[in-house]
Amino acid sequence: MVKFTVEGLRRIMDLKHNIRNMSVIAHVDHGKSTLTDSLVAAAGIIAQEVAGDVRMTDTRQDEAERGITIKSTGISLYYEMSDDSLKNYKGERQGNEYLINLIDSPGHVDFSSEVTAALRITDGALVVVDCVEGVCVQTETVLRQALGERIRPVLTVNKMDRCFLELQVEGEEAYQTFQRVIENANVIMATYEDSLLGDVQVYPEKGTVAFSAGLHGWAFTLTNFAKMYASKFGVDEGKMMERLWGENFFDPATKKWTNRSTGSSTCKRGFVQFCYEPIKQIISTCMNDQKDKLWPMLQKLGVVMKAEEKDLMGKALMKRVMQTWLPASSALLEMMIFHLPSPAKAQKYRVENLYEGPLDDMYANAIRNCDPEGPLMLYVSKMIPASDKGRFFAFGRVFSGKVATGMKVRIMGPNYVPGQKKDLYVKSVQRTVIWMGKRQESVEDVPCGNTVAMVGLDQFITKNATLTNEKEVDAHPIRAMKFSVSPVVRVAVQCKVASDLPKLVEGLKRLAKSDPMVVCTIEESGEHIIAGAGELHLEICLKDLQEDFMGGAEIIQSDPVVSFRETVLEKSSRIVMSKSPNKHNRLYMEARPMEEGLAEAIDDGRIGPRDDPKNRSKILSEEFGWDKDLAKKIWCFGPETTGPNMVVDMCKGVQYLNEIKDSVVAGFQWASKEGALAEENMRGICFEVCDVVLHADAIHRGGGQIIPTARRVIYASQLTAKPRLLEPVYLVEIQAPEQALGGIYGVLNQKRGHVFEELQRPGTPLYNIKAYLPVIESFGFSSTLRAATSGQAFPQSVFDHWDMMPSDPLENGTQAANLVADIRKRKGLKEQMTPLSEFEDKL
Amino acid sequence: MDFEAKYEISRAADFICTRNFTKVALQFPDELLKDSVRVVKVLRNKIRSIKGESDVGLYVMADTTYGSCCVDEVGASHIGADCVIHYGHTCLSPTSTLPAFLVFGKASVSVFDCAGNLYKSVLDKGKPVLVLFGLEYAYAIQSLQETLAAKSSTLSNSPSEQQIQFADVMNPVLNPSDYKTSNEHLGPSGTYTHGRSDGMTTGMQYSIGGLTWNLAEGCKMEDYMLFWIGSDNSAFANAVLTFNDCEIVRYDATENRLLSDTSNQRRILKRRYYLVEKAKDANIVGILVGTLGVAGYLHMIHQMKELITKVGKKAYTFVMGRPNPAKLANFPECDVFIYVSCAQTALLDSKEFLAPVITPFEAMLAFNSGSQWTGTYVMEFRNLISSSPVEPGKLSEEARFSFLKGGYVEDVDIQVAENGENNTGRALALADATEKALQLRDKYPNTLVNGTAKSGAEYLASRSYHGLDMYSIDSTAEPFFIGRSGKASGYKDESENRTS
Repeated sequence: MVKFTVEGLRRIMDLKHNIRNMSVIAHVDHGKSTLTDSLVAAAGIIAQEVAGDVRMTDTRQDEAERGITIKSTGISLYYEMSDDSLKNYKGERQGNEYLINLIDSPGHVDFSSEVTAALRITDGALVVVDCVEGVCVQTETVLRQALGERIRPVLTVNKMDRCFLELQVEGEEAYQTFQRVIENANVIMATYEDSLLGDVQVYPEKGTVAFSAGLHGWAFTLTNFAKMYASKFGVDEGKMMERLWGENFFDPATKKWTNRSTGSSTCKRGFVQFCYEPIKQIISTCMNDQKDKLWPMLQKLGVVMKAEEKDLMGKALMKRVMQTWLPASSALLEMMIFHLPSPAKAQKYRVENLYEGPLDDMYANAIRNCDPEGPLMLYVSKMIPASDKGRFFAFGRVFSGKVATGMKVRIMGPNYVPGQKKDLYVKSVQRTVIWMGKRQESVEDVPCGNTVAMVGLDQFITKNATLTNEKEVDAHPIRAMKFSVSPVVRVAVQCKVASDLPKLVEGLKRLAKSDPMVVCTIEESGEHIIAGAGELHLEICLKDLQEDFMGGAEIIQSDPVVSFRETVLEKSSRIVMSKSPNKHNRLYMEARPMEEGLAEAIDDGRIGPRDDPKNRSKILSEEFGWDKDLAKKIWCFGPETTGPNMVVDMCKGVQYLNEIKDSVVAGFQWASKEGALAEENMRGICFEVCDVVLHADAIHRGGGQIIPTARRVIYASQLTAKPRLLEPVYLVEIQAPEQALGGIYGVLNQKRGHVFEELQRPGTPLYNIKAYLPVIESFGFSSTLRAATSGQAFPQSVFDHWDMMPSDPLENGTQAANLVADIRKRKGLKEQMTPLSEFEDKL
Repeated sequence: MDFEAKYEISRAADFICTRNFTKVALQFPDELLKDSVRVVKVLRNKIRSIKGESDVGLYVMADTTYGSCCVDEVGASHIGADCVIHYGHTCLSPTSTLPAFLVFGKASVSVFDCAGNLYKSVLDKGKPVLVLFGLEYAYAIQSLQETLAAKSSTLSNSPSEQQIQFADVMNPVLNPSDYKTSNEHLGPSGTYTHGRSDGMTTGMQYSIGGLTWNLAEGCKMEDYMLFWIGSDNSAFANAVLTFNDCEIVRYDATENRLLSDTSNQRRILKRRYYLVEKAKDANIVGILVGTLGVAGYLHMIHQMKELITKVGKKAYTFVMGRPNPAKLANFPECDVFIYVSCAQTALLDSKEFLAPVITPFEAMLAFNSGSQWTGTYVMEFRNLISSSPVEPGKLSEEARFSFLKGGYVEDVDIQVAENGENNTGRALALADATEKALQLRDKYPNTLVNGTAKSGAEYLASRSYHGLDMYSIDSTAEPFFIGRSGKASGYKDESENRTS
């Protein structure tokens, strides 16, 4: 039932005003994929009848089994608008044919990196919200991300069928629920408003909110009903639409519209009277098989059923009738076409977010104008495993120019610096491919405004990159994506058979490529580590690794490991001193904890080594109370030159000090990467160089003398400043009915978690609980929680902050000391910490 | 134990007299230095008794620059010695200029207990056993074999002869010419790889640390269980790492115990794997000369240099005696050091080192693109010499995955080299060079970060301190004054004070 051909599709790709790139985003289990399937059904890839039962977009077996989406999937849809429905469209258009590039993304928080990747290459977002559960934590997260990328949202209130069948709520109550859902969403959107994007809030009366039942394949916007009633009441469609939402009441007895309820029993809200009630009536008639009543009603509505469909009974009949009357595809697709921007429109304001270079150069202008004749600017947002094992499609969006089969492109990786040769390749695209459902079709070229997959570049792109024409040496790359989650859960893997190691290495490389978030590294001890956002994410990664990337070779995985950080609680109890190996040089140092929020500011990049020193000292003095001169005396950040620790020079009038600076910095980079407690990274420690005594001959104060000494004195000052461990903490959001709360609190208490917010969702028996939970306790948390609440609670955890463990790791038998011992054992270090006397010297 | 027997005085005297050496260097490790005077006295008497009058000069050498297991040829040549007699633990690495006689020493071992343990482990494992041993136990092997034979004849279910195989000890006399001839013989054929010689007809010949043995055709090392007699020293570590596929038990002769735990060694192997991964990310490589005696070390150093420059990295050679953290930290620009030394001193792994120190074998793994860590491990660099270096054009086009950074990185210079081939004209090369020179620098000149350096000069330039500021703003001529002169141990003006 393919309604369109590759050639046909390719032709529409040139109509940049008739393209809509959009992603479907929502909280987990709010019905994104099901809804997407009913849209796919309209584009004719699968038969109308099976939409809602089979998820077209979940192509992986494990996705189907778990019933959740893991990878985002892109699909191109084709939709032809009627002249009648386009008559109110004010924007530019080229004909009635529309191409919708749709990306279905996962809702589970562990996979939100996929959402980030999807948002980058789309211009609009369909936000799906469950009408009963309302706006959840993940809805908020993805909305925030979307608006950050300047993605215009439209909303659909989904799972309407639950109102009618399951809950059987009355019209007014339902209206209040919907109203609240929309309000909640608008509150979030208003927070992240952006002047260039304009008003991003959604209004049912403007047609930017749809009401849908993905499972049954029907949906409507107020436009549908307004059209229907406009002629009947003899009013303008726009006016009718306004009356169908908000404080507009209609009394059929008096045939009068009022602004508030008159109190008469027949006076009802416009929405209830004209939208909700008719649907409810049709559904109940179908469900009760009152066919004699049904046919005349349908006739009145102008719904024509096929002969064979008239024999259907109950739910099947209802589904069929609703699909025919209010097809989800036309309502949703029309909403997108009307209210979401075309690439040509969106790129005008998105260019600022996207392009790293000067905003007036030819590349910025080409992106701004979505110019197919301009230089190629293409962003690869993710790598999709191809059917032949080990190869990947580079999937991305063309922002300007055209990408063609056989074309030579410049690949600028994430570390590319304009003018340098670092992370830069010139290679040719073997094939350009577009997706049509499960089928991949090769095309000659793909013009700007479209999504595209490319073959033959996978060896040069890790996760993402910017592509441009071979000759465009002045082009700057497109800004790298920022992920909202970080990989905090790690697991060590090794192969069962030692000779499989090359396979494992190869597999890890591919895994790193296939997932935007996963990080594959190696430990000092020689163990391979996979780091992911959460337990579920890791589980999926390991499965992929073993089955897809290693050809089924067996692997052994360790228990999940959490990385800790080392910090200090107070200023060092005394100034510590270490002598160089030749005893001729002495370094004096002190450690102190950084001011609150400073470590986070460094993490966020607000303060960093590359700043203008003036700016840096301004922020430090204004926000963190530093002395202005002191702020200029920061020697370095670390580890990796950007980490949240510092060395500050507090010396006065020391000779040769600048000579040893580089050596002290080298020692600090080393020490801050491997703290004295358990060789974990340090965090939030400020080391102050108090005094330095150096040998007069330069040869005796070289790097060889100073670097090891700097490391030792840093350790000594850390150990004298009440060292503490920091553990990562998840923010957990749980939604559950009241009777499950007891179980939730029980499990959280047992796992060292604490609840800091409990809110009842207005109008529902559901409670929203927010809690902090140490990551180390989170393994098996969701299954324990499910068991304790008989499956009623489903947690969403996302890394939130580092929390200091109160116990003293230097005191034997404390929790922190045991943890340190465990970590040291795992790393193959001496179980006893090196004592302070090894680092500190006496005069 | 008899002193003369322990130090093999008569054999040493024979060696000196038959070859007519007149200047002999006696090399002692630190732990045997206390006996050196006695050895010299006894040896001198012995030589006198053989030759009549003594024109032989005996010199004691101690505190070698490198590992004490190697023959210190440089030290011996200071006194112009004709030969070296080396006492104590040795790696039997061939010498390059001087003949040497090696005295292994004799450590006590309970032969009966050892035989019992060996016998038991053969029965338990049901695998053929290869007996390897520390050279200080070499003298006892004969009696061990006899005890074993006697023991097996008394029992009915005795293991057959083939199931226990003993390694042979190499000739304790080292002649520098031996190596050259054997190298000529082996060099072109190139079969002398991974510890195997080209004795194809008689099966495989293996050698490690002065022990040699033949395996019958069709037998593999993995099929054997290794039974090591001796202490847990570098020779044992060498054997464990080289034959890491084999099951290994160790009989500790001082404690009369059988130890089968080699997890520590496995951990070392994993750690080496990490170091190889780390070395892959290195831009500047230091080659540490760890021996001036072991034959072929120069060849190895050249080969390493060639390998490093071929993959577009920068190599510097250092001669600094035995490396320690303070010495290596004087060269913070080096991301990794390659330590070219004899097999038994090759493993230097201390967390104290700022940059990892790896062996030439590991360097080959790291820098030869396409080579993979398979588990085979070669300690002896001589076994690497003839193994094929990088074949040009074999470089895979794929960007390299760095496990340290968790992503793909590209080795810039390879690309540059590729492009360079296309640019035939000099004009283009010049344009290329200027393009590099005119790079966009950091936005703020005062940033605290410097990029990674590709060469020592670049590293120096990126340091915040470049030495004295030559371009002083003040252009007026400075009055010059005479500084002090003399040596650092006592400058001229100081010594005047001292005398007065």
